[in-house]
Formats: sequence, C-alpha cells, structure tokens
Amino acid sequence: MLRPATQCSVVLLFLALVFPCSSPALDLPALIREVETRYQGVSSHALVIMEIETAHWKRSLELESWSEGRDRFLARILAPAKEKGVATLKIANEVWNYLPKVDRVMKIPPSMMGGAWMGSHLTNDDLVKAHRIDEDYTFALLEEDDAGWLIEARPRPEAPVVWGKLVYRINRTPFVPVQISYFDEEMIEVRQIHFDRVEQIDGRWIPRRMLVNPLEKEERTVLLYQNIEFDLPLPPQLFSVRSLKRN
Amino acid sequence: MLWQMAVRNLWRNWRRTLLTMSALVVSVALLILSLGVFSGMFADMLASATQQYHGHLVISRQGYQDQRQLHDTILYDPHVVEQLHATRDVLGISPRLRGFGLLSRDEQTQPAELLGIEPGRERQVTSLHEKIVAGKFPAEMLGSWIVLGRGLADKLEVNPGDELVFVTQAADGSIGNDLLRVLGVFDSGDFNRDNSLALVSLAWLQQLLVLPERLHEISLSISAPMEAKPVAKQLAMQLPESLEVVDWGRLLPEMQEAIASYDVSRLILVLILYAAAGLGVLNTFFMSVLERVREFGVLLAIGMKPSSIRNLVLLESLVMGGLSLLVGSGLGVLMTLMLSGDGIDLSRWMTAVTYAGGTIPPRLRAELVTDNLLVPSVTLLLVSLVSGYLPARRASRLRPVAALRGD
Repeated sequence: MLRPATQCSVVLLFLALVFPCSSPALDLPALIREVETRYQGVSSHALVIMEIETAHWKRSLELESWSEGRDRFLARILAPAKEKGVATLKIANEVWNYLPKVDRVMKIPPSMMGGAWMGSHLTNDDLVKAHRIDEDYTFALLEEDDAGWLIEARPRPEAPVVWGKLVYRINRTPFVPVQISYFDEEMIEVRQIHFDRVEQIDGRWIPRRMLVNPLEKEERTVLLYQNIEFDLPLPPQLFSVRSLKRN
Repeated sequence: MLWQMAVRNLWRNWRRTLLTMSALVVSVALLILSLGVFSGMFADMLASATQQYHGHLVISRQGYQDQRQLHDTILYDPHVVEQLHATRDVLGISPRLRGFGLLSRDEQTQPAELLGIEPGRERQVTSLHEKIVAGKFPAEMLGSWIVLGRGLADKLEVNPGDELVFVTQAADGSIGNDLLRVLGVFDSGDFNRDNSLALVSLAWLQQLLVLPERLHEISLSISAPMEAKPVAKQLAMQLPESLEVVDWGRLLPEMQEAIASYDVSRLILVLILYAAAGLGVLNTFFMSVLERVREFGVLLAIGMKPSSIRNLVLLESLVMGGLSLLVGSGLGVLMTLMLSGDGIDLSRWMTAVTYAGGTIPPRLRAELVTDNLLVPSVTLLLVSLVSGYLPARRASRLRPVAALRGD
C-alpha cells in the first residue's frame, strides 16, 4: 500500500507522461504540413523561372506547373527552345518524364529517384517525398520565440527517406518557411533551401524566391515564382501520362 | 689445370655423373615448362580482363579515372593519335567518350554507361566484337546504333532492330535525349559490365553530350602487356602534364594482386623442386669426396693447397650444374615452344574458369618469358654451388697423414 503522498506523485508523473507539453499545444506535423503545402492550396497553377548554376554552366529555364492536392504535379518547360515541351508528371510516388524530341514518355525507375530533376539541384525524390514529410518524420521543437519556430524532423525508422534529419526555420507572421537544412545520414549538413521575397498572393503569404544550395559545392538553383494562382478549377485529365505529351 | 682435373674427375665415374645430371636436367626442363604454362595462363587471364573493357593503358585527364566527371575531357587531336601510332609497343588506339544516363524502352528504364567509340579502332583494343551473341558489331563510325550488354538488353527487353531512348544531362546542362537502334548484344562474361554497359558511336555521343571534338580517354593495347608500367611512364613523359597514363595494374587491382601472388608461388615452386635436386647433388659429391680421400691425401702431400682442393670440388659441381642447365633449359624451351601458339585444347574435360576478373580458357598453353628462364638458371647454379660447398669444405679440411692412411 502506497502512502498518499507517493500516490499523488505517481498521478503527477502519469499526467506528465500523457501531456508532455503543457504550453498551448503546438501541432508540429500540422505546422510542417502547412509549410510544405504553402505553394499548393487545393490546386495551383504557376509560372516559374528556374536558374541553375554549376561550376561548368549556368542556365535559366521557364516552367509552367500545375498541382492538385499533394499527390499530383505537372511541370512543363516553356523555354529555352531546345527543351520546350519537356515535361514531368508526378502522381503519388511515381514520376514520368516526357521528351518531345523523341516523342517518348519515360518512367523514372526507383533506383534513379535520387537523380537531378531537369538538371537542377532538386531531385525526383524531392518532388515525391516533400509532400509526405509529416508522415515520414517525427518532429521536435528546438526553439520557439516571437519570430517563429525552429523544428527538427527525424525520419521514422521504417520511412524510405534519404536524409538523416531536417531542420525547419519557420516565420510566425507572416507564416512562411525561412530555411530548411538537410542533413545526411552522418548528420552532416549537405543542403540548404532558403525562402525570401515574401508577398501576399490570393490571400496567402508566399516566398517568391526559393534558393537551393548544395553545401559541398559552389552551385545553386534558384526558383522564382513569377505568377502563382490558387484553388482554380483544373481540367480533369490534366494529371495523366497522356496529357504529358500534349503541348 | 683445376679445370681439366674437374672435368676428368667427373668423367671418371660417368654413370653416377650422368644420373645426377639427368635429375638436374629433368628438374630444369620441367620447371621451365611449368612456369611457361603458368605464364600462359596468366597471359590468357590478363588478355581477357583487359580486352573486356579497359585495354592495357588508358590516357585521360589527371584524376578522370577516379571520378569519371563528365567535364574532365581531352581534345581529340588527330596529331596525338598519329604520334601514339608511331610509338613503339603500341598496337591499337581507341578514342572514347563516356556518358551516364537512362536507357528506356516502353515501360522499362535502366541506368546505363554509354561508351562512345569508333568501331574500327575499338576492335584493336577490346574484344567485345568477338563477344556478340545477337545482331552484329557496328562497322560504321557514324549513326545512332547501340550495342548493349546482354544483362542490360534482357532488362530492357530489347532485341536487335528495336528502338531505345537515351536521356542524360549534357555538358551544357541541357537535357540530352535521342533515339538509338539496337544493332547487337554482347556477352563479355563480366556480369556487372553486361548489366550496365552499352557501346554507341563516338560522334553521336559527342553531339548528344554537347562535347564536340572531346574525349574522356584514349585506350591503348600494347605488344607486351606485362611491361605496361614502364611503357605508361615513357608515354606520360611525351604527353602534356595535364594528362595521365594509367596502366591495367591500376585499373584492375585484383589482377595485379593475382600476378604478384603468382610471382611468389613461382619462387616457392622453384625452391621445392630444387631442394630435391640439390639434395641429389649433395649426395653425389659427398660420395665422390669420400671415395677420393686417399687421392686428396696424395694431392695435399705433394703440396696442393687446401683451398685449391675446395675449388676443385666446387668447380666439379659447377661444371655439372652448368652442363645440366644447358641441356635442361634447351629441353624446357623446346617443350614450352611446342605448347605455345594455340596450345592443347582441354575443353572436352574442363570449362573456362573466371578468376580476378579474367577468364582462363580451357587449354594448356605455355608462354616463353625471359624471367622463367632466368630464375631457374640462376637458382640452379646457386644450388649446385651450395650443395657442392659442404663436400668441398670437407675435402679441403682433410689432414694429409690421416687421409693417406685411409681413415
């Protein structure tokens, strides 16, 4: 038989275990989901300029993209002329590319998902996995202040991801991502994505510029959102392999 | 005088001398032959390993072979090719460009390594044209043909005549993509390579990768593959410093190790055979010294120096060793020559063996290498000297009086 005082402390301990965070509950997965879907809405249509810089070349692509929910995404190159019409379709975990020069659709095999997407410093994996982050990772709040939050994401043991951990810096008002750091399995920071030029579009705060910086080399990819609209009706067959070919 | 005496002494008991000599002759001859067979085996292995892909020597930009970076190219300079052709020892020269990307047909997509070649020149360096199992090896320099490894062809489910798409990132960052027609399928015997390698036209690949006039490497075949290292060094001195010449030993480290271990096992084989032969020589000379105790006593008594007695016996063993060597190596070389060329076909009894990345074909074939003659010869002379030394020392230490009494 336990003494009343001990009983009381057991109850307290139990309460502490059940409600670890006593401050106003912060739903971290929801927060991250909100960040990751910043550019999506129910549906979206955007015009993006992608500038890629490597040690050997520098180029600029003009892309038109559509998305619906988290699982469907389509992007098509408008310029330069040599690659006009090259398109990428993502449905859930699968990615297809369309090559107008040879008029063929090519499905990216699982082994090549780590390959560069359209020559940039983003990979096919980034397209597929970014929208599952709240499912594949567990989150911990590292810092919280008036400016915003610093959140660490570690992959669940069974999650098929390539990163060791991610660290998000999120701004409170307006609610936008500031920086995401990517760490490899040895916990070495290998890539950063910065967001800036925040503007309000269709009632949403959107960083118009996204900077992808691989840290091991002096290279980068910059995405500039020229134009983006949300929650618009999209043609029903837009996200299909057949529509990939249509120019 | 010592010389004459030695020969006469040997001839006195010619039966015994000939018996001992025949043991030496047989050891030398068999040793040279078996070393020749070893060398033949390794030459076959090396040939198959280098002819599958690399060639004997590869010229490329410094560091290219470690990283295989798309941008580490060299200029395709016909002048340099001419210069290489004029170099002694160089048999074949194949300029190559390499691209990694995706090959696709319908639903199947596979990562692949595309090697841009000039078919006529590539034939001089690798033997992939002999490994075609379907379709044919290209004859033309130009065109959008592709020849794939068997594993790759199976995974893509293609046959000669089918169309494939290749996609990669070109040197200017653009998305290079084009159609190819399957001309042939090869089976090199190397599992990894057959699953990932494809050959295409050099000019086609240069255009796709936006690397006009550029190469990643020049692969060479040379007349004496075992001498690749010194030839590489010599070539490197003629070429600009930004280039390096890599020999097969660096490209195929397992093969290098296999051959190094062969050098050790060759020495062990020599030692074992000669230990037996050396004991025979030792035995013979002890016998002959013991028989001649009285004779040595007389020689000492009439004033011959003990050191001369020692030299006499040593000379006898040396003459015997030298004669055996002459006959034995002659015989060994003859047998080796008989087994060189195509050798004896053993395919009825055994299949090819793959080891250290090379294939040993089922045949008994020997190759004549100077080392295989030199090592047994020098060792034989040493063995005769060493096994003659003990009896010689004994003979020189005889005390004349005791020896004359016959104790």
